[in-house]
Amino acid sequence: MKKQIAIVEDEPALRENYAAALARHGYLIKTYANRGSAMQAFRLRLPDLAIIDISLEDEAEGGFELCRDLRALSAELPIVFLTARDSELDAVSGLRLGADDFLTKDVSLPHLAARVAALFRRIDALRATGKATEVLRRGALAIDVERLQTTWAGVPVVLSLTEFWIVHALARNTGHVKNRQQLMDAASVVLDDETITSHIKRLRRKFQAVDPAFDAIQTVYGMGYRWVE
Amino acid sequence: MRIRSQLLIVGLSTLALPWAGCQYARELEITLRGSQEQALQASAVTVADALAAEPQRVFRDASDRAPFDPARGDIYVFPLSRQPLLDGYRDDWSLPQEPLRMPRDDGPTTRLQAGATERYLFLFVEVEDPRFEPEPGAAHSSDDRFDRVELLVQRPDGTLGSYFFATDAPGLLEGQSFAVADDGSMQLGLEPRLQAYWLQTREGYHLEIRIPLSMVASRLWIRPLDGLKNAPKWELPAIEHLQGGRLFFASEGLDDLLASFVRDGTRATVVDSNGLKFGTAGAFESSAQAAQARALSHAWFRALLDVDDSGLPLRPASPDHLEGPEVDAALGGQVATAWLRTGRGQGPLLSVAAPIVVDGVTRGALVLEQSADQLFGLRDHALTRLFYLTSLATAIAVAFVFGFASWIGVRIGRLQAAADAAIGPDGRISLAMPEAERSDELGSLARSFEGLLARLNEHTQYLRTLGGKLAHELRTPLTIVRSSLDNLESEGLREDQRAFVQRARDGSQRLASILSALGAAARVEESIKQSERVNVDLRQLLVAAVGGYQSAFPPWRIELQAPRDACFLRGAPDLLVQMLDKLIDNAVDFCPAGGAILVELARDSGDYRLSVGNDGPPIPDALLPRLFESLFEHRSSPGDKPHFGLGLYIVRLIAEFHGGRCLAGNRADGGGALFTLILPSI
Repeated sequence: MKKQIAIVEDEPALRENYAAALARHGYLIKTYANRGSAMQAFRLRLPDLAIIDISLEDEAEGGFELCRDLRALSAELPIVFLTARDSELDAVSGLRLGADDFLTKDVSLPHLAARVAALFRRIDALRATGKATEVLRRGALAIDVERLQTTWAGVPVVLSLTEFWIVHALARNTGHVKNRQQLMDAASVVLDDETITSHIKRLRRKFQAVDPAFDAIQTVYGMGYRWVE
Repeated sequence: MRIRSQLLIVGLSTLALPWAGCQYARELEITLRGSQEQALQASAVTVADALAAEPQRVFRDASDRAPFDPARGDIYVFPLSRQPLLDGYRDDWSLPQEPLRMPRDDGPTTRLQAGATERYLFLFVEVEDPRFEPEPGAAHSSDDRFDRVELLVQRPDGTLGSYFFATDAPGLLEGQSFAVADDGSMQLGLEPRLQAYWLQTREGYHLEIRIPLSMVASRLWIRPLDGLKNAPKWELPAIEHLQGGRLFFASEGLDDLLASFVRDGTRATVVDSNGLKFGTAGAFESSAQAAQARALSHAWFRALLDVDDSGLPLRPASPDHLEGPEVDAALGGQVATAWLRTGRGQGPLLSVAAPIVVDGVTRGALVLEQSADQLFGLRDHALTRLFYLTSLATAIAVAFVFGFASWIGVRIGRLQAAADAAIGPDGRISLAMPEAERSDELGSLARSFEGLLARLNEHTQYLRTLGGKLAHELRTPLTIVRSSLDNLESEGLREDQRAFVQRARDGSQRLASILSALGAAARVEESIKQSERVNVDLRQLLVAAVGGYQSAFPPWRIELQAPRDACFLRGAPDLLVQMLDKLIDNAVDFCPAGGAILVELARDSGDYRLSVGNDGPPIPDALLPRLFESLFEHRSSPGDKPHFGLGLYIVRLIAEFHGGRCLAGNRADGGGALFTLILPSI
């Protein structure tokens, strides 16, 4: 059965482009121009994944509202924010509301498709628990690449996809300095330096919430970051 | 010209004050002169009327109304201040006038001058008679031939007294009386009351005669006879047949009478219808006060302010006559006034003449003369005070204007300095202006400046955020283009089509990077705002970072000079490193490979001075103030990738976040650019 993806985007050209690209990858696409019509449809039937623009027609933060309502309907539904906004505040807000990823519209369609595929993979992997998967272990850190899940000392750490790939890139080669470009490539995103910095900051905070003594991500001034055990 | 100097000149216009004062003083003087004239005229008329009421006290012969006529033998008697010696010389008479030639149809040429003291009448007779015929010793006969001077007088009783002077040798002599009887016989006698001195000269002889005034009434005749030429006969005409010979001299008691009329500083003179002085009293120049006042006034300001007197007619000094337009007018029957000069360096003289009319006939005139010195004294006193007061007022006004101008100048200077410094070297605009709280024009100017700066600031802010806004607005259409290209590619393209799509993709990629750069400033500002401050050891951070740069940019020699101990400041280490990244990036861009980049940290009175210098070319001075502006682009070569100069703007934002500031300059040795950050320590 085809996975159904809902695209909530007020810009028709973009909406159709995204729809066309994802349809090509075999998804069933439903498109909505505003929060009202989208919510109406979601109440009837939830999609398998939602891609939401933050500003919807006359609602500057309609996407956030929609995300909150959608999360109320389903705790597991993957939600991706796709927006022209690139401010960190928006990203933080979106992720705090329970979005699984936050992509700027700079992202290319193949990248978008890859992200969508990764999210579905994570959902599938979560559903198929017990199945042996490849797990990358670095001390207290365990990364389940199949399920896109991260644990620290056995405690799950909930990361967005971008954050997941950053941690994965750092932890794979312990002690190696990864510069910002490398991290961006690993996460398949086009981000600027500042956003990478804030991602790192947020990552540290998430790990520290689990283990206040967490100090595995080290800044190498002038070069980048590295994972130390 | 500075405002101060301009206002000083304006202040000098108050010099019109003393000038106006002087003009006023001049007007005052003219008015005073007018009132002086009127007062003096009134006095003159009064005195003249009083004198006319008592003609016998004014005129020696009140009934004799014929005017003085030298041609008929009338004689003017000068008043003599002291009694001269009888010596045949006139020097001690102290009179400037020469003796007058007597009208004679016979006899030698004779000149006569008469003078009088209180008791004596003096006659000075000059006779041209080169040959002296002495008086014979024997008794005179009727045809005796010898030089003699006959003197006929009208005695006080009205009879005729007849005398003559003759001598056998020049020198002192006495007069002799003679009488001719009806039969022609002579009666001679000595008259010792008549004294004379006979002095022989080259042309003839001088005879100086002294006659007691008691012997003379009002007429006198004198007749020198040449003993050789025309054998003079002894003859004695009847007094009725004698003509002329009237004596005109100061009437007895007239001086005293006049003195009772005049005040100090006034001279009264009575003249007869010929202008001949009869009596005089007082002095117009005697007032010591006036002289003092005159001495007090300074020549320079008199010269500046005096009423011009040089055009006034000059009054000739004459002991026997008084001449002038006013005297002529008075003798014509009119009261007249004249301003006259008495001589060089003297003040003007006011002279008023009033006719003395006796029985309807103008017999003479009373002339009252007053020096204007009193007036000058008054005026000078007022003028001096006025001058000093107005000069003081001018000085105060000028000082005040100067002070005011200085104050205004200082305020304008303050405003100017603030306006000059309003846009700082880092491009920041300080909105507050001095003087803005004042309510005057400068205050409103300052407020206008503030308004202008506020608008400029808004505009600058707008421009600063324009890039971000523009980037945001352009992102959606750009995304449409790119996603469309993605889709197009996915549809499967022919090889030739693929090239075009690739070009379009390249173009949109470039556009995206430009937009990303444009929006970067806004993102950085936002991320800076959200940064947390912790205590950072700047030295340690620099050591780590420079180590990183050394391995990241091996072709450059990146060196660090820092104090040995920790340098703590409160800040965000990520931002500090980012700031350093930008500075190093910038240095690497401009410094040729192999050059040195020196990072230096030093303490500077509570601040840290962090500088990054390189060996590249120096920055042109004109660019220095704009380097830290957002999107300021300076590309050394056109082939470089688009470089929107955000780096240094981010440096500035981060420095400001840390409460510091940044300066761009060149190394003192001229070697290359030097960026300096001043960051406050804890």
